[in-house]
Amino acid sequence: MLMVEDVRKTAWERYESLPWPVRTDEEWRRTDPKLLPALPAGEKPKEGAFQTGWETPAPELIRSGVILTDLATATKQFPDLVQEYLFQTGEPGQLKKFVALHQAVAQQGLFCYVPDGVKVELPLRSWIEAISGPAIFPHLAIVVGKDSELTLVDERRSAPGAAEPVLSNEMAEIFVGAGGRLRYVHLQRWNSATTELFTQRAILEKEAQFLNITVGLGSKLSKANVETLLRGPGAHADLLGIFFGAGKQHFDFHTLQDHQAPNTFSDLLYKCALADQAELVYTGLIRIAKQAQKSNAYQANRNLLLSQGAKADSIPMLEIEADDVRCTHGVAVGPVDEEQAFYLMSRGLSATESERLIVEGFFEQILKRIPVGDLREQLAEEIVTRLSTHTETGKETLT
Amino acid sequence: MSTLLEVNNLHVEVEGKEILKGISLKVEKGQVHALMGPNGSGKSTLSNTLMGHPKYKVTQGQILFNGQDLTPLKTDARARMGIFLAFQYPTAIQGVTVANFMRTAMKARFGEAFQSKEFRKTLKGAMASLGVDESFATRYVNDGFSGGEKKRHEVLQMALLKPQLALMDETDSGLDIDALRTVSEGVNRLRGPELGILLITHYQRLLNYIQPDAVHVLVDGRIVRSGGKELALELEAKGYAPYEKETVAS
Repeated sequence: MLMVEDVRKTAWERYESLPWPVRTDEEWRRTDPKLLPALPAGEKPKEGAFQTGWETPAPELIRSGVILTDLATATKQFPDLVQEYLFQTGEPGQLKKFVALHQAVAQQGLFCYVPDGVKVELPLRSWIEAISGPAIFPHLAIVVGKDSELTLVDERRSAPGAAEPVLSNEMAEIFVGAGGRLRYVHLQRWNSATTELFTQRAILEKEAQFLNITVGLGSKLSKANVETLLRGPGAHADLLGIFFGAGKQHFDFHTLQDHQAPNTFSDLLYKCALADQAELVYTGLIRIAKQAQKSNAYQANRNLLLSQGAKADSIPMLEIEADDVRCTHGVAVGPVDEEQAFYLMSRGLSATESERLIVEGFFEQILKRIPVGDLREQLAEEIVTRLSTHTETGKETLT
Repeated sequence: MSTLLEVNNLHVEVEGKEILKGISLKVEKGQVHALMGPNGSGKSTLSNTLMGHPKYKVTQGQILFNGQDLTPLKTDARARMGIFLAFQYPTAIQGVTVANFMRTAMKARFGEAFQSKEFRKTLKGAMASLGVDESFATRYVNDGFSGGEKKRHEVLQMALLKPQLALMDETDSGLDIDALRTVSEGVNRLRGPELGILLITHYQRLLNYIQPDAVHVLVDGRIVRSGGKELALELEAKGYAPYEKETVAS
């Protein structure tokens, strides 16, 4: 186990020694690092403010050892537990400089812990709300013990009225113990003044089950790296994403499905609808280690372009060392299907209504898997609202 | 009788190629007209053009619906006026349930008059009379539907949207004899003094179930002959070959 203070110290050194990214770095080829706000060299950046919040778990859950609180409180009350898990997921493959900075300075965030053998039946909710810039470093840790169960709906948003530019440099660390089951819904609804760098590392032990639904609606720029490590035999991950971008929003997502043990299963489906001049870059890597025989890995990225100015670039990658595995990947990018639009309009729906129905249908496959009914409806409505407010460009082809 | 649809000297291009080469046609209210012709004669082009598909360009001529020129109107405006196209190959729309789709379509078609509270009942009733299972309402539009289910779904929509003019494009294709009977009965129930139907078909067999008032023969983008329902029987016996020769010769 690495001591948190040591990690912080070496992280700071690493941050200082790593160069600021440039456009020629593979990782930054499709997202100009100049779009990031500058951070001062040689000193720790000034931290802005954010608030963490959560619904307090039921008393009997707290009695059985369930913890959901802010990171600083957890550090005070449960120092050994925090030490056991904080910064223990290892080094991610991307955004290294920013992860180093995060580890050097992050003090606040959320800590959610379910001890072995505890089933949390009802979904828990938490959120992080940005208040002021220039930069915030929220940290999220979720620990689901052996044979435990948890559903967590976790939101990122900006405080009402907050307009100052904020760089959120977040890291989420997720541990699912043997036989544990985590359903984690990550809901990104930052305001349009926010730039987000987001790193998620999830470690799944033997026969752990992980359903991860990432919903990305907000921010002006979001660059995320979501890594899932299937470390124990029989671990299972369903990785789903819904993204809607409008205006000049820019999404850059990288995912890693890292199969390190035999009989592991991962299925990734990211769906993105883009309006106006919004852009998506998606790169997804499936890695299957030599010892991870009889594993299945699937990856699909489907993008719907609602305007002529919208753009999506999708690059799947495979690194497979085992020979007895099943693995597929697929990419689709295209405008609203003209025949679908004609069919709906032939029933009296306007071009806008037709587009709305097609987009709703496009996301339905993932929305229906959100384990919380009211959230499902709320999200479907929010997507419709965002869709109806985006400026009407590039529609001529439909009408 | 008053004229519902009047097509005058209609010329239509698809991707720069002329498909319809001067069609004239008149459908009165309450009438059923059959448009028959071999593959590639322009039957589907006519129905798509009447519905306002953006790919089909009217280069000459006129389409009048209740006396109003349709050519400048978009597809959805035509639909709200009461024109309906039963598709030959209905498109699947994944993730959108039949109920959600029908509710949205009926709202669009009837506006304020749409009875939201009555919707479930109306839909259930219409499904029952077409012999469609209730689970249909929660399935995704045309997604994984069998050929027969697709056609029933088209007639179901027609029943609910109550058009004044129904264009039925090869509604008989891909149907076995039982499905053909149910679908035809569904259409016959909708017949009345206000509804005009243009039945597009390759084969005569549909006309055994739905009796037309007039039959037109379309060959190479032109109507080469019009007549009563006996014309369909003649076509059944002789095929389209005599007409195809005529056009080649001309």
